[in-house]
Amino acid sequence: MRPEINKKIEETLNSLDGIRRAEPRPFFYTRLMGRLQRNEKTIWETMGSFMAKPVVVIASLCFILVFNAFMLLRQDATNSIQTQASNEQLATDNEYLLATNSSFDFENLDPQ
Amino acid sequence: MDERLLVEQLKGGDEAAFKTIVETWQSMVYNTALGIVQNAEDAEDIAQETFVQVYQSVSSFKGESKFSTWLYRITIAKALDHERRKKRKKRFAFVKSLFGEESEVVVHPPDFHHPGVILDKKENAAELFAAIAGLPENQRIAFTLHKVDGLSYQEVSEVMETSVSSVESLMHRAKTNLRKKLEDYYKDMK
Repeated sequence: MRPEINKKIEETLNSLDGIRRAEPRPFFYTRLMGRLQRNEKTIWETMGSFMAKPVVVIASLCFILVFNAFMLLRQDATNSIQTQASNEQLATDNEYLLATNSSFDFENLDPQ
Repeated sequence: MDERLLVEQLKGGDEAAFKTIVETWQSMVYNTALGIVQNAEDAEDIAQETFVQVYQSVSSFKGESKFSTWLYRITIAKALDHERRKKRKKRFAFVKSLFGEESEVVVHPPDFHHPGVILDKKENAAELFAAIAGLPENQRIAFTLHKVDGLSYQEVSEVMETSVSSVESLMHRAKTNLRKKLEDYYKDMK
């Protein structure tokens, strides 16, 4: 390497010696506060961003599916109990219904 | 004012404490960002982002390191993020231009002149900053923190969460690479 290039490299490498700290433009704090206020979210934005979280979406979906399945199973169970109850009711009704012909009526067609 | 007290007050939502924190450390944060991104507007943007994060996540600061060290880490992370975003945009614009779509013309940034450099060294410093921009990330951060921000090797190691010997090694490699780049640059100029 030529000595003049070597010298130039050394000068360049040492060019940051004695560097002073750079300052931001005046009123940095005012601009920062403006940015902070722009960044502040309303209650609806906060709720929206919470609801849009994948964890919340998946959890809500699971809850709805489980709730639906539970309601469906519960309804089936209630229906079968109701059917059983109605059959028993029908049998009891038949027994006490006077207008219905019983075996006695068929065996004694002519009472005279 | 005591650093810990200020942080505790900020954790309690004290706006005056936040103002004191900003006024105390704004030049440090700005200077670090400027050293990395080498652009005044971007550095201001990064400094603002840093303080917004400080305001929003001060509760996560446990006091295991100095407050200034924590600030340096946030600033560096924001500056590197900013650079990556910029590179992505450039790449995207290039791909778009390949498909013949209209996009912003990619221009090479002009020489960066740090406002804190002594006048008669400005030209050399601009050449050095151009060479620093081409260094690998870790070497660039170590070199900038030591040379531009004036941190000792010990302080650089705390900010970078590494050992002093690693910082020494990074600095050695950075200087070697810079020498090579500058040599090529000056040879081409002849």
